[in-house]
Amino acid sequence: MVVSARITNFLAYSSLTVSRVSHLGNGSLRYQWLLSRNTSLLQLRSKIQTAVPSITSNVSVPKENIPTADALVRPDLEGLYEDIREGLTNTQPELRQIAQYYFNGEGKAIRPVITMCMARAINYHLDQNAPGVIQKQKKIAQIAEMIHTASLVHDDVIDVADSRRSRPSVNILWGQKKSIIAGDFILAMASGMLARLQNQQVIILLSQVLADLVQGEFMQLGARENKDERFAHYSEKTFKKTASLIAYSCQAVSVLSGADSTLQSIAFQYGRQLGMAFQLVDDLLDFIATSAQVGKPVAADLRLGLATAPVLFAAQKFSELNPLIMRRFQEPGDAETAFRLVLRSDGLQRTKELARQYCNDAVTQVAQLTPSPYQQALVTLAHQLLHRMK
Amino acid sequence: MVSRSCLIRWKTRHLGSSIHPAVSFSRSLFASSQVYQTSWVQAVSNAEKVVGFPTSFLSLRSVANDEISNIAVYLKKLIGTGHPLITTAKNLVYSNDKTHQTRGLLVLLMSKAAKRESGQDILPEQRTLAEITELVHTAHLIHTGVINLNTPNANLEMGNKMAVLCGDFFLAHSCVQLATLQNLKVVELIAQAISDYSTAEFIDIIASENDSALDRWSQQMTLRYGSLIAHACQSTLILGNNVELIESGKSFGLEIALAWQANIEIQSFKSNANRADHVLSKLFPETPFVDVVANFQAVRDRHVNAALKILTAFPQNDASLALGNIARALKY
Repeated sequence: MVVSARITNFLAYSSLTVSRVSHLGNGSLRYQWLLSRNTSLLQLRSKIQTAVPSITSNVSVPKENIPTADALVRPDLEGLYEDIREGLTNTQPELRQIAQYYFNGEGKAIRPVITMCMARAINYHLDQNAPGVIQKQKKIAQIAEMIHTASLVHDDVIDVADSRRSRPSVNILWGQKKSIIAGDFILAMASGMLARLQNQQVIILLSQVLADLVQGEFMQLGARENKDERFAHYSEKTFKKTASLIAYSCQAVSVLSGADSTLQSIAFQYGRQLGMAFQLVDDLLDFIATSAQVGKPVAADLRLGLATAPVLFAAQKFSELNPLIMRRFQEPGDAETAFRLVLRSDGLQRTKELARQYCNDAVTQVAQLTPSPYQQALVTLAHQLLHRMK
Repeated sequence: MVSRSCLIRWKTRHLGSSIHPAVSFSRSLFASSQVYQTSWVQAVSNAEKVVGFPTSFLSLRSVANDEISNIAVYLKKLIGTGHPLITTAKNLVYSNDKTHQTRGLLVLLMSKAAKRESGQDILPEQRTLAEITELVHTAHLIHTGVINLNTPNANLEMGNKMAVLCGDFFLAHSCVQLATLQNLKVVELIAQAISDYSTAEFIDIIASENDSALDRWSQQMTLRYGSLIAHACQSTLILGNNVELIESGKSFGLEIALAWQANIEIQSFKSNANRADHVLSKLFPETPFVDVVANFQAVRDRHVNAALKILTAFPQNDASLALGNIARALKY
């Protein structure tokens, strides 16, 4: 069965709009939709396929008004951020302030949404209804968000950031030292929560995430001499930095539900493929978004010296990019040159293709679960992710 | 026998909120009292013979493991930046000398001291816990060494970056190792210790209505150093299934940590030229030097005596004897 394709004609749009759809209430989620009036970009966009890929046949056709993942699990995630803040209150006032700062509900909460959706889908598949299970799975969602946020706090210090989510970053407000300590504190509290779930395997899975996050960060610091190794290095780094947390969280909730290793693998693989796609889309948007905004001519990743998928693909067409990649775009004009060459190449197109491939893989995985609104929502999540690239 | 270096690493604590980046802030001080140095070194050296060296991957030169050698690279980069953590990084990368791993040693001694039968040996899990204790402590040192930079400075920024990443690496590695112990309570206890040392950074040593400055010092030190050692001792006894000694182990860990830290303050106060800024001057304001030292020695000795008293609950063996010697060595 083929899902109906939606082809949007951007040439018809003449205004630049960035609108955020904000769900009110605690644990609010935001989606960013970006439209552009930059002509060269429009020409590029009209070449990019906007059709949603077809899915395997044993999944029912999603109807027009099928609930999105976040709508479905919103009751489960009600109070997610309050609960996290609650868990961080029992300490010195200033530490409490810093630790709670990024848990104000402004984040996208994509990790808790994916985690809870997978939890519900697996529970349905296994006919698992014990109330204790869902409680523990909610804790995993909290822990995943805490681990993610702790890494954001450390990233802001490492990257010398000055803002995040339109507010000053923690290091600007409290200095580097206290921010790092606060990040450790959040991690410690998450570990304590993890221990209290009373499940050895879950602890092993999520502590592996911590190791992966650090290793991913280290990998990002190093550049591969050999250009043939670069994409493999980028993929591995992407897994460790982004997909690992999502993959192991999905596996963890499946473990709590009583899944055997086959089912755990499905959960893990879905999380992994979706996580990889998520990062690819982010890397893609870093190019498209900034080219559409006046006064911000180069992608943030380039400025940080990072060669992401679009650049790596472009380098296969324009080998003059290789020295720029090796010196991490440090010389004046490097970032601009790289940006131009990426847009001229098929780098963005190939990135999108790769993201679509990962999404397809993710969908294939969850197609093996018993159909349910939650299982359906996991499929929809993959589609929504691809849709962000429009 | 491995020759002992004369340099013993002390931690000097600065109470100011930010450290001026221009000040190269060494965390090592020579021990002021030769008598103390000898008896401490002696006690530690003898103790190592009882339990063997704490196993640790921290002597980085000798390890071929890819991940670890990467850390060595990054720590060396730290050394090149002029960052205040240079000495700490140097000790990690270049030191083959295990005398700096006292916390791991204490855990091993506690493990052995609790064994009631002479044939019983320290469990592999207990050795892993000793290593974890050192890792967590190292992460703590490195992360609390991150400096506040108000103006851009490429070298120091790189230094901070290395410090954050290396500290994160040690913490993550600790968590992975902790998970292998297959003991949920131990994971919880060590997580609590990390949370406690983080909280300690936000406690100031200013007297309030309910607490004297000395009380606040105790609270801060308990959280900053006591918690890790106490929980590590507690954990190793859990792993060794020495249920009846768990509370004693925890209390001993706390007392020895406080005694140790008190002694560090005394030694650094004695040898420090600029005494006005030292924490002991703040704890005992407007007091002559001799009295400050005497007062704080009394505090230290109280903790040493408390530790020795707790030790009597443990079986009499080489390990508990070694623990007693280490405690007594602090009294000089």
